[in-house]
Amino acid sequence: MKKIADRCLVGFAWLSAGMVTLAAVMLVGFLLRRGLASIDGSLFFGETHWLDAVSGRAPVFEGIWPALMGTLYLVLVSSFVSIPVGIASGVYLAEYASKRVRASLGCAVDLLAGTPSIVMGLFGFALILLLRRTLFPQAGTSLALAALCIALLVLPYVIRTTQTALQAIPVHLRILGPVCGLSGLQAIVHILLPVASRGILSGVILAMGRAAEDTAVILLTGVVAQAGMPRGLWERFEALPFRIYYLAAEHQTRRQLDQGFATSLVLLLLTSTLFLTAFMLQRRFEKRWKKW
Amino acid sequence: MEKVVTNPAIVVEELCVEFSGKTVLENVSLTILPAELHVIIGPSGSGKSTLLRAINRLNEFFPNCRTSGLVRIRLDGHLVDIYARDAPPLPELRRRVAMVFQTPAVLPFSIEKNMTMPLKVTLGLRGGELRERMEWALRQVGLWDEVEARLLDEATTLSGGQQQRLCLARALALGPQVLLVDEPTASLDFRATETIEQLLVDLKDRYTIIAVSHSLSQARRLADRLWVLREGRVMQQMNRRQLQDAALFQEIIDNIF
Ligand SMILES: Nc1ncnc2c1ncn2[C@@H]1O[C@H](COP(=O)(O)OP(=O)(O)OP(=O)(O)O)[C@@H](O)[C@H]1O
Ligand SMILES: [Mg+2]
Repeated sequence: MKKIADRCLVGFAWLSAGMVTLAAVMLVGFLLRRGLASIDGSLFFGETHWLDAVSGRAPVFEGIWPALMGTLYLVLVSSFVSIPVGIASGVYLAEYASKRVRASLGCAVDLLAGTPSIVMGLFGFALILLLRRTLFPQAGTSLALAALCIALLVLPYVIRTTQTALQAIPVHLRILGPVCGLSGLQAIVHILLPVASRGILSGVILAMGRAAEDTAVILLTGVVAQAGMPRGLWERFEALPFRIYYLAAEHQTRRQLDQGFATSLVLLLLTSTLFLTAFMLQRRFEKRWKKW
Repeated sequence: MEKVVTNPAIVVEELCVEFSGKTVLENVSLTILPAELHVIIGPSGSGKSTLLRAINRLNEFFPNCRTSGLVRIRLDGHLVDIYARDAPPLPELRRRVAMVFQTPAVLPFSIEKNMTMPLKVTLGLRGGELRERMEWALRQVGLWDEVEARLLDEATTLSGGQQQRLCLARALALGPQVLLVDEPTASLDFRATETIEQLLVDLKDRYTIIAVSHSLSQARRLADRLWVLREGRVMQQMNRRQLQDAALFQEIIDNIF
């Protein structure tokens, strides 16, 4: 009897793992089939010569190059906020907070994690309206506002993974800080954070992926269809996910729809590159901190 | 003839330690003299490790622990009440009253970083001074020749005995005045045990040493003064002369264990 149950369980596990793989392969396969043919110079730069486009000498009207750069900036700026703040909050929750504070703050983090992105976008929109009416009459939706709202959206991932990774460090390792005469903060910086860095990385990757794909937030806080290259933090910008949405919703020819698929592929490639970079940075850093 | 206690290195008075309301040490009082090797023995769970941790306030690392009583340690010539309000800060205290655990506890870093990181972070040592201090400490424990060529390997790749000596070296490098060693030879073979025992004997002139031991014969070999702990109380204190008398020693031990 027990044997059969065991077999069923193993079979189910295999099946589930297989289905996940299959789904991923099918997704990528479909995108490749529909989109790959459309990936060429004109997809990125339209009629503009690529050298002129990349160096910013000539504007790009048709291509996705401005949207690619817009998304890249968005991810970088929002990570610049969400990663340090998230890690610091995670450290506070895991290492300093009392039980009561941890419970109530944790609740707030969960609430933030559960906030739908359109609500976060609405929040950003309301914020800018408020600012216009009070302190900054010239304030408008912009890259900075969108990045801030995105940072708020992805913050819970970084906080939670940091907190969990730190709390998972066993007592026999934790006690070594005090044993070596380190102060609490020194132990966090020199022992606990490096040991937890793999766990923290997974949160960072999740956050970056989410920042790259989210459309609802930026829709209300600064993305537009034709902004050209992002010119600054206080300007509006283009973004890949919005471009995909726009192409798919408004396409008139099959070619335009295929361009939407190609753009999706590019977005996938961009996030993969970001993940890989984060991963390699962490491994290099880990090799270093283990030695010296 | 008992030596007259004129300049104790550590005085423990009526020390009580509780974990979550459960008494682990009860009214422990002892006087530790400089330049003697002090050994604590007792059955498992009798509170030996807890007693050592009370002497550098490491029990406070566990949130469910309560300590009362007095522990005074001679630091730079003065007896300092380490639990008092004006006691030295905890990190400094733990550098000067260093502890080596029962099970070797290396940091998940390279051998070199195990030695250098605490020195860099707490004492601010750099460059040549840092390397000299590391080499000196590793030589003290007889580990230098074994690890010189592989300093950048992970410390966990060392054998148990080597790890234990690395921990001892790490403690020595920080320049302590008191060494608390918890069953330093628990995981070692005969040879390595001999090395560590010899090391403790060599070090006892320079450091105040309190060691916990599981082995009665080892305790007899090493101890200038021996305490027997049972259920959190000091049952017996013996000096060198009493330890030499095998029959007396056996009788006392039989009574307690
Ligand atoms: N952090 C802790 N939390 C709760 N109880 C503890 C803690 N540390 C020790 N104790 C309890 O205190 C008692 C004494 O423990 P201690 O480690 O001091 O014994 P020991 O004499 O060193 O034993 P051994 O020879 O097995 O190492 C034990 O009953 C143990 O369960
Ligand atoms: Mg013990």
